[in-house]
Amino acid sequence: MPAGFSTNLPIGPPQRWAVLLARYRRLAVRVHTHSPLHPPQKVIQAPKRRQKRLVAVKPRAEATAPPMTAILTNPLRVGLRQERVISPQCLVIFGASGDLTHRKLIPALFELFRQRRLPSEFAVLGCARRPWSDEEFRSRMAEAMAATVSEHHSAWQNFAQGLFYEPVDLQQTEHLVRLGHRLDHLDRQRATRGNRTFYLSVSPEFYGSGCRALASAGLLADPDRSRVVIEKPFGRDYGSAQALNKVVQTCAKESQVFRIDHYLGKETVQNILVLRFANTIFEPIWNRNYISSVQITAAETVGVEERAGYYESSGALRDMVQNHLTQILALTAMEPPGRFDPEAIRNEKAKVLQAAHLANENEAWKCCVRGQYGPGGSPATPLSGYRQEPGVNPNSTTETYVAMKVFINNWRWQGVPFYLRTGKRLPKRLSEVVLTFREAPVHLFDAAGGSPTPNQLILRIQPDEGAEIKFEVKAPGSGMRSRPVDMGFSYDDSFGEPSDEGYVRLLADAMLGDPTLFTRSDEVEAAWRLYTPLLELIEDAPWQLPVHPYEARTWGPAAADNLLAEDGLIWRRP
Amino acid sequence: MSAQLTLQAPLALPPTEVSPYLEQLWDSNLEASSGAATFVLIVWDPAWLEQQLVRCGRIDGPISGLVSPELLEAARLAVSDCGLPPSTAPMDPRLAWSVGQQAGGHGSEDLRGRFVDSAISAHTPRRLITLAATLDPAQPLETLVAAYCPLPEEGSTGAACGDVVVLRGGMGALQQNLAMIHPLVGDTLPCWVWWNSSLDEPMEMLQALAPPPRRLVIDSSLGQPRRCLDLLVERIATGQALNDLNWLRLRSWRESLAMVFDPPSRRDALNHVVQLDIDVEGDHPVKGLLLTAWIADRLGWHLVNREAVAGDGIGDGIGAGIAAEFERSDGATVHFRLMPVPVGVPKTHPGAIVGLRLICRPEQRQPLCVILCSESGGCMRLESGGMAAMELVEDLVPLPEESEEKELARLLGGGHDSTNPLLAAAAPLAAALLPS
Repeated sequence: MPAGFSTNLPIGPPQRWAVLLARYRRLAVRVHTHSPLHPPQKVIQAPKRRQKRLVAVKPRAEATAPPMTAILTNPLRVGLRQERVISPQCLVIFGASGDLTHRKLIPALFELFRQRRLPSEFAVLGCARRPWSDEEFRSRMAEAMAATVSEHHSAWQNFAQGLFYEPVDLQQTEHLVRLGHRLDHLDRQRATRGNRTFYLSVSPEFYGSGCRALASAGLLADPDRSRVVIEKPFGRDYGSAQALNKVVQTCAKESQVFRIDHYLGKETVQNILVLRFANTIFEPIWNRNYISSVQITAAETVGVEERAGYYESSGALRDMVQNHLTQILALTAMEPPGRFDPEAIRNEKAKVLQAAHLANENEAWKCCVRGQYGPGGSPATPLSGYRQEPGVNPNSTTETYVAMKVFINNWRWQGVPFYLRTGKRLPKRLSEVVLTFREAPVHLFDAAGGSPTPNQLILRIQPDEGAEIKFEVKAPGSGMRSRPVDMGFSYDDSFGEPSDEGYVRLLADAMLGDPTLFTRSDEVEAAWRLYTPLLELIEDAPWQLPVHPYEARTWGPAAADNLLAEDGLIWRRP
Repeated sequence: MSAQLTLQAPLALPPTEVSPYLEQLWDSNLEASSGAATFVLIVWDPAWLEQQLVRCGRIDGPISGLVSPELLEAARLAVSDCGLPPSTAPMDPRLAWSVGQQAGGHGSEDLRGRFVDSAISAHTPRRLITLAATLDPAQPLETLVAAYCPLPEEGSTGAACGDVVVLRGGMGALQQNLAMIHPLVGDTLPCWVWWNSSLDEPMEMLQALAPPPRRLVIDSSLGQPRRCLDLLVERIATGQALNDLNWLRLRSWRESLAMVFDPPSRRDALNHVVQLDIDVEGDHPVKGLLLTAWIADRLGWHLVNREAVAGDGIGDGIGAGIAAEFERSDGATVHFRLMPVPVGVPKTHPGAIVGLRLICRPEQRQPLCVILCSESGGCMRLESGGMAAMELVEDLVPLPEESEEKELARLLGGGHDSTNPLLAAAAPLAAALLPS
C-alpha cells in the first residue's frame, strides 16, 4: 500500500458512522440553536443546480458546444402528441362552487380542450347548493381563470359553451330528479350519449351519502356509461375506509369508482414505473441484496394556510402519508406487473402494501416521530407557529410533521428499512425518493470524505424533476483517492417543456375509463391498515407519541434524526 | 387474425334484406347483448395485389384482405419477375398491375371482411361494412351478414357486440348497390371510411363512400404522387376529417427530430437552418414531402421556388429528385433537396424515408448537423461532404413495421373528429413542393 494511504485508511463501519453522526450533529446543532430572529446561515445548501453537475449526462455533441439561447417552446414538438379523444361525455361536478373546481378541475378541462382531447359532444355540469345560473357559473370560472382566459380568449368562448350549472342538494330527492332531467336534456343538447362522470368534490363526510343519492336516482345504473370520481381522503382510518368502500360498492361496481390521488397524476411519480420497468439496469439491483435503505420525503414550505379546519382533524399522517407517500412507496417497492394493465398494476401495488408494516407495530412510538412547527422565519418575514395560525386550537396536538420507519415483508425487501417523512414549513418544497445502496464489500481506496459515500439513486418528484445517481470516482491528481459525484437527468434539461398538471391526466383517464392511476378499494384499505397502530396510539395514548416542536423552516424535530441515527443513518439534506 | 366470437355463421342475404335483417337481429335476437355505441367502419378492400398473387398461384388463399408476411414475400419475388426496379415496394400499385398481366387462373375462398384484426375489433366497431371488389368486373353482388362479439381480454368487462356486413362482387355490381350502404351507416354514430387501396382508382367510388362528415382514411403512398397530394389538399379544404396512413408512418421521424431539439440548449439552432436533405426509397416522394412540409410549417419557412433535378447518379433509373428553396422568417435561405435512392430490400410502402439531414449555422457558433436515418447506409451517404466537422448529432430512427390495421386501430382509438392540424398545414405545402 502506498505510504500516502496509511494516514487516511478507510474507517470501518462503527467508526465511520460515529464520524458521520458527529458531523451531522454539529450541523443539526447549528440549525437548532439559531433563534427565529437569527435564522441559520449556510445550513441550507445552495441551489442544487449550481452545486451539482460534477458529472452530467449530456448529449455527446453538446459537451463541446457553447450554450445556445433557450427559446420557449420546441416548435417541432408542438402538436406531436395525439392522444385519445375522450368519448362523448357529461362531467358532473358536485361541489362546483368550491375552490377545487375553479383552481384545478375547470383549468384542467380547459387544457384538455386546448389539446383537442375533448370531443365536441362534451358538457360540464356544475352542481352545488348555490343558486347560480349557467351564465353565472361560466363567468365565475372565467373570472377565476382570468389570465388563462385572456390568453386564449376564443378557445375559452368555445369551451364555455359546454359549461352548465344546476343547483343541487344531493340530500334532496326532488333535486336529484331535476338533475336526472337536466342530464337527459344535456344528452340531447350536447349529444353526450348518456356517458356521465360524476366528480364528488364535496366534503368527505358526504362521499357515502353522495354515492347513495346518485345510485338511488339511477344515475350509476349503467356500469359502462357512468363513473364516479372520489377525492381524497377516502376514510379517516381502516374501519371508516372499509365502511365507505362498502357503501360505494353497493352503489356502483368497482370498475365505475375512481379514487383520485393527485400525486399519481405527476409525471415523475409515473416515471418511477417507467424507470424501473422500461430499463434493464435498475431492476436487477432493486432489492434487499443491493439496497440498504429507502427514504421517501414530501416536504412543504407552506404552513396550514386556509385549511386549518380540515387540517386540525387530519394532520400530516392522514393528509400526506396515508395517500401520497404510501402511493410512492407502493410504486417504488411493487413487483413488476405482468403487463401494463390497470388491474395488473393495482394488484402489485395492493400486494406490496399488504406486505408492509410499521417497523415496530407493538411499540409504534419507537418507529414514528410526530412534530409540529413553531415560529420561525427571518426578522423581515417572521413565520407563525402552527398554534398561532388562524383557526388552529392554541393547544393543538395535531402533527404537521411525521417521520416513520416501515418494513416490507417479502422476498425483495425483507430487512430493508423504508423511511417516510413529510412536514409543513420545512426549508424546501420537494418530494423525492432516495435509494441508498449497500457499501462496497472492500474499501480499496482512500476516500476524500474519510470513507466512501454509499451509492444513491435519487428520484426527484418535484421540483427540478428528474433523477440522479451518486457514485464514487477517482479524484484528479496523484494517488487513488475517491470522491462522490452526481450524474443527473433533469426533465427541464432534456425536455424543456412543462408537464401537464396532475389533474389534466387524471381527469382525462377517469373520463376514458382508465383506472391505472386511481386507487382501488383494497389498496386504500391496505394503506390505512398499515398506519392503524399509529392512529390507535394517537387516539388512545397520545402521550406515547408526543408532538415535538420544531422551528419553522427547519428539517423537523431532532427526534426524527434520532430515528435514523439509531440505524446509523441520516436523512438526506437535499 | 382477430379474436372474434361469431354469434352466427355469416349469412348470405339478398341486398334488399340486409337492413331489415340487422334491425331484427338487434331488436330481438341479441337484445340481451349491449350493442357497441362506438362507430361504423366502412372498408374499401379490393386487395388487388393479393387477388392477383392468388390468381397467378404465387400464394395460396384464402383471400383475407390482410397484408401477411407470406403476401409480402411473394410480392417481393414478383417485383423482379415482373421486371420492375428493385426499389419497387411490395405495396406499390404498379406491382399489382404488373402481376395482373401475367397468366394464371387459380382461385381461392374469399374471406374478406370476415377477419377483423384484433387491434380493430378491440375498439368494438358497431358495424363493419366491407366492400370486397373482385377481379371479375361482371361478378354479381353477394351480401353476407354476421353478428360478432370481440373476445373480452382478461380483466376487461363484458363484450359490446357489433355486426359485420360484406358486399362482394364486381365493380359494376358494387356501384349499382351503393345506395344500400347509407341506411346501414345511419346518422347516430360516427362513420369512418378506410380507402384501403390505391388513390389512382376511379374516384366515383370514393366520392360515394366518403361524403363529409364521414371520416376518411387514405394512404398517400399508394397512387400517383400528384393525385395523392391533390386529394389530400382537396379533402382537407372541404373540412372533412381526413387521416393519412402515410402521414402516420412518419410518426417516428417527427418524434426523433423533435427529440433532438428537446433540450432547450439546442432550440436556437432551429432558427438558423440552412439546409435540409431527405432521401427516400424509390420514386415516390410524397412521404418525404410531407416530412419536409411539416418541418417548414413548424419553423415558419416560406417556399420560394422548387424544381425537379437529376439524381446524383446513384439511382437505378428511378427518376428525378426535387430541389427547393425556402425563406426563413429572418429572410435567410434554406436549401432543400429530396433525393430518390435505390435500396435492395424496400420497405412495404413506396417512398419510405431513408435519411434526413438538417444543417444549422447559428451565428458565431459551431454549425450543427443533425442526421437521422433508418439504416446505417442512409447515414453514410448523408455523413459525406465534411459533416463531421460540425457538431454532429446522429440517430437511427426506429421503424416499427406496424400493419395497416394497427395504424387504423390507432386512429380509431384516438377518436379525433377532425384532421390533424399538423397534416392540414403540411399537405398544401407538400403539394406545392411537388414539381408539376
